[in-house]
Amino acid sequence: MEIVARTEEGVFADALHALAELLADDAGGELVWREVAVRGEERAALLVGWLDELVFLAETENLVPEEVGRLELSDHGVVATVRCRRGSPRHLVKGATYHRLAFERSGQGFRATVVLDV
Amino acid sequence: MRVPARVFADRELIGQIAADRSLEQLQNVATLPGITGAALAMPDIHQGYGFPVGGVAATEPPDGVVSPGGVGYDINCGVRLLALPLTLAELGRRAEALVHEISRRVPVGTGHGGALKLKGPAFDRVLVEGPRILLAEHGIGTAEDIEHTESEGRLAGADPAVVSERARIRGSDQLGTLGSGNHFLEVQRVAKVLDAQAAEAFGLREDQVTVLIHSGSRGFGHQVCSDYVRTMDRVQARYHISLPDRELACAPISSPEGQRYLAAMACAANFAWGNRAALAHRVRQSVAQILGPRVAEGTRQVYDVAHNVAKLETHHGRQLYVHRKGATRAFPAGSEEIPAVYRAVGQPVFIPGSMGTSSFVLVGRPGAMERSFGTTCHGAGRRMSRTGARRQITGAELRHQLEAQGIVVRCPSNRGLAEEAPFAYKDVERVVAVVERAGLAARVAQLAPVGVVKG
Repeated sequence: MEIVARTEEGVFADALHALAELLADDAGGELVWREVAVRGEERAALLVGWLDELVFLAETENLVPEEVGRLELSDHGVVATVRCRRGSPRHLVKGATYHRLAFERSGQGFRATVVLDV
Repeated sequence: MRVPARVFADRELIGQIAADRSLEQLQNVATLPGITGAALAMPDIHQGYGFPVGGVAATEPPDGVVSPGGVGYDINCGVRLLALPLTLAELGRRAEALVHEISRRVPVGTGHGGALKLKGPAFDRVLVEGPRILLAEHGIGTAEDIEHTESEGRLAGADPAVVSERARIRGSDQLGTLGSGNHFLEVQRVAKVLDAQAAEAFGLREDQVTVLIHSGSRGFGHQVCSDYVRTMDRVQARYHISLPDRELACAPISSPEGQRYLAAMACAANFAWGNRAALAHRVRQSVAQILGPRVAEGTRQVYDVAHNVAKLETHHGRQLYVHRKGATRAFPAGSEEIPAVYRAVGQPVFIPGSMGTSSFVLVGRPGAMERSFGTTCHGAGRRMSRTGARRQITGAELRHQLEAQGIVVRCPSNRGLAEEAPFAYKDVERVVAVVERAGLAARVAQLAPVGVVKG
C-alpha cells in the first residue's frame, strides 16, 4: 500500500480508504460508528496499528470501514471515530507488517508504504 | 553479515530465486546477532516479509536472538498425511463424493469460524497441551496420531498468560478450519514408491489413497506474531540491535521479550497441531460417511510436520534455536526425536507440490544434520506473485484444466484458486532433487492428486 497525502492525518484517512477497497462488499448493511485508538509515537508503527485495528473489526465484527469522522493524531497516538457498515467483508487481509515500512515527508506532504499480509 | 548466506539450489532454481528479493533477505538474516554457521536457503526459497520463506537460521542462547519474523505469521503452519486402508481402485467412483463431503465438513477461508469453539480454560488447555487435550476431552484423534506428530504435538514452555486477548478472540472459533491462501486439503493416491523400505515403515504402498492436510495456527498465530514483532521492534535500541528490515525485529533469547515470545509461540504451535488434529478428525468423519466406519477406523496418521517454528535443538554439540520459516525438520535414522517405528529409516517429511502436480514423501538423511541444522525444503516454493498468477489465468479456467485432468476441485473463491495456479510455483521435482543430491532428505513416494479442497 503506497499512500501520498498532504498531511499525516490524511495518510491515515487514505489508508482506511485503500483498505476499504480491499474489504468492501455490496451488502449495504447497518451503519456502525466505532472509536479506534492506537497508542504510540512513531508514525509508521502507528499506521500499522491503525490498519490492524480496522482488519480486526472486519474479521471479528464483519465491519467494513467507510469513512473517518474525527481523527486526532498526537505524540501519544491516534484516536478516531470510524464509520463502518456491517456486511460480509472479503477476508483478504490478515494484517499489516513492518516489512519495508516507511512513513516520511515527501515534497509538500507525506508518503507512506505498508506491506499487507494477504 | 555475521555468517555466510548459503543456498541449496541448482542452476535453474538459482535463476528463479534471483528474480525476487529473497537473496537480499537471506543476507539480512545473516546479520542477526548470535546467528551461527550460515543463513541457509532451501531450494524452494522465495521472498517473504523480512525473513525469506524457505530460510533457516540457528542462533545460540543466551545472547543470540529469537525473531518472530524468522518463524513467520502462520506459526507452525505444517502438513499432516493420513493414509487410508484402501486403493484408488477400491475408492472408485466415490472419490468425488469423498472430496465433496470433506469440503462440506471443513470450514475454509480467512476468519471463518469452525464448529469446535473453545473458550477460557478449555481454550488455554489446547495452547499448553495441543492435540492430546483434544483427544482426552473431545475424543478427537488417537494416541497413535499424537505419537506420529513432530514433538508429539506439544512444544514445552507454552504459557497462555503471555498471549494477548486479541489472539484469543481471533483463535477461539478457528480450531478445525483450513484457512485461505495456499492452505489446502488434498485427496491423493500413492503414484510411485521410490524407497520400498521406508515406504513400508511409513505404511505406504502403491495406489493407496492418502489425504494431505496443509494448515496452521490461523488468526491466533498471526496475532501472536504481530504482537511480538511490535514488542521487539520497540526494544531494539535497548539491546543495541540494528536491523536492515524492521520485520526482522528480534530480542536476545534470554531477554524477557525473547522468553515471552517463545512461550507465546509454543502456544501457537500447539494450537496449530490442535487445528490439524481437528481437521483430520473431520476427514475421518467424512471417510466414515462415504466409505464406512471401518475405513475411517483404519485411516492412519503417517506423520505431521511443522514448517514455521523455532525450536531448541542440539547441532554440532551446541544447543541452538533453529528458526525454520517455510522449511521442514528432517532428522535422519537413529534420532530419538522421531517415533520409534520410524527410527530405523528416518523422519517422514511431506513436500506438497502445486495444485494439480505431485507431492512427495521424503525421509530425513544424515546430511541434514551435517549441512542444514537437520532441515530440508517445505514445498515447491512460489516463483510468481499472486497478482501475477491472476493476470495469467482465471479461477474458472484453472478449475476446468484441473477437472480435465480428472482432479475434483472444491474452492469457493475463483480468485483464490487462480492465485495457486501450478505455473506460479517452482517445479517440485527439481526442488526435491536438489535436497536429495545435497543429502538432506531422500524420496520415499510420489503422491498424485485426486481431489483438492481449498480455502
